[in-house]
Amino acid sequence: MMNETIMMIQIENLNRSFEYAGNEVSVLKEINLNIRQGECVILKGVSGSGKTTLLSLIAGLDKPSSGKVLIEGEPISKLPDAFASELRAKKIGMIFQHFNLLEHLSVSENVTIPLIPSGLKMKEINKKVNTALTLANIMHKKEILSSRLSGGEKQRTAIARALVANPDIILCDEPTANLDRDNSLLFIEILKELHSMGKTIVVATHDPLFDHLSFESTVIPMVDGEIREMSV
Amino acid sequence: MNEVLLSNQVIVYLLSESTLFFLLLVAFIVSLKVLLKWDFESFTPLQFALEKQAYLVTTIILFVFAMKFLLIVYFIFSIDALSLLVPGAMCGAGVITANEYGSYLLILKLIILFFLTLWLYINAYDMRTKDHKWFKEKSWLFSFIFLLILVELGLDFSYFSHIDTHLPVSCCSALFGQLEGANPLPFGLTVPLLLVLFYLLYALVILTIKTNQTLLYILANILFVYIAYYAVVYFFGTYIYQLPTHKCPFCMLQAEYAYVGYLLWGSLFAGTYIGLSNAISTLWLKQNHKRSQKNVTFLLSFFVLLCTTYVAVYYFKNGVLLA
Repeated sequence: MMNETIMMIQIENLNRSFEYAGNEVSVLKEINLNIRQGECVILKGVSGSGKTTLLSLIAGLDKPSSGKVLIEGEPISKLPDAFASELRAKKIGMIFQHFNLLEHLSVSENVTIPLIPSGLKMKEINKKVNTALTLANIMHKKEILSSRLSGGEKQRTAIARALVANPDIILCDEPTANLDRDNSLLFIEILKELHSMGKTIVVATHDPLFDHLSFESTVIPMVDGEIREMSV
Repeated sequence: MNEVLLSNQVIVYLLSESTLFFLLLVAFIVSLKVLLKWDFESFTPLQFALEKQAYLVTTIILFVFAMKFLLIVYFIFSIDALSLLVPGAMCGAGVITANEYGSYLLILKLIILFFLTLWLYINAYDMRTKDHKWFKEKSWLFSFIFLLILVELGLDFSYFSHIDTHLPVSCCSALFGQLEGANPLPFGLTVPLLLVLFYLLYALVILTIKTNQTLLYILANILFVYIAYYAVVYFFGTYIYQLPTHKCPFCMLQAEYAYVGYLLWGSLFAGTYIGLSNAISTLWLKQNHKRSQKNVTFLLSFFVLLCTTYVAVYYFKNGVLLA
């Protein structure tokens, strides 16, 4: 359920720049953003606007050039890799544009992978995997090799993998870029269900389908690495 | 040019040492810069850049230190191989004493390996904290180690370039034998007393590990290494060579004795270095690694058991002990 007081993600004066051909290219500029627990935020912008970089910094996959990212009040922008991995395993589920599935593994094996380091018993792991597969509506393809799935099914497998550890935060990077309209709408329905479960969701997309969702969400336009005016 | 400097082993060794030193020099310069400006609480671009550089420096140091552990083995192998070039030398013992630099170089190498182990411990503790709690400690220690390695490199070149292949050196029998009835053992000990002390100190080391008496452990372990060295050279070694007059710490590193010296000295020094590093970490950083204590117990027990086995096997085979 949405809690107005708890800040799940706080971003303060965040900058990220890269060196390219001897020049410094600023990808994110002075980003300030607060995302409450249970909130759904849509980062909208064209390619190169800094959405993916921002998601990577929130997930602790990348380090900023300056500024802070806090998850539930804990600064993560400086976490050593081992701690960042632990945080992701417990708190963050990620869904990628290209699904990032292991093609030679079955659907259930792909979904099992995030739980392997947890040390849980196989019985408990199987229970969690089945729950995630049911939630993502891909249970019927459980034993199929992921290479033999359609785009929509691959995306639902990726959703199940993101949900299997029951994370508080779901980060989606262009989740519908490789899906047709029907599968995109199906994805949004799953997103709605996750929102109703109180998950904090951040979606980076340029898909117009996310402009007017049937559930409460905040659209944050990003242009050239900066946040422009927000709309709810 | 000196014949020794042109030998394959020495060329490879000096080239490896020089390359590693160059890497360490880069790491040293960067780490000094990082150390002087380090402020982990800050979220400025400078601090983020320093953290990336610190990560790079740590990676370089880890690589170089791992190589240094391998290079000590290669150094021993090289000086052993040089005994073919140096007249009078039967093994590394004669070669290491071929000039005034050799013994200092060997002792310095052993000291450096201890500090490398200590740095690895502090680094491991530092990597387990979210805020790099021990970054400054490990960086200052690295600076100190770098200076030692600088001296070591100088000694390396001085030593190998000053070995005269025309000047005969003493062989190990002359170096370690009891010449003119003089007692080579420390504190005026006799061999039986040396052995009593050897086993008593081993027991004390294990006891202090079990009872977590850190200061006493450090003292006992240092004494144990010292006594163990003499015990191996003047007693246990004679059972490895099966010759009462053959007293040498180097010959046992040769193929003739199944390279058992590497196992023997390796377990003694590895056990000591791990134990002392863990003990110093306990006193300095208030960090104790229980598994290290088990490893030390295993390594030192293995060393003592290996020494004792040679005597026992000889006795069971021949029914007598060496005089």
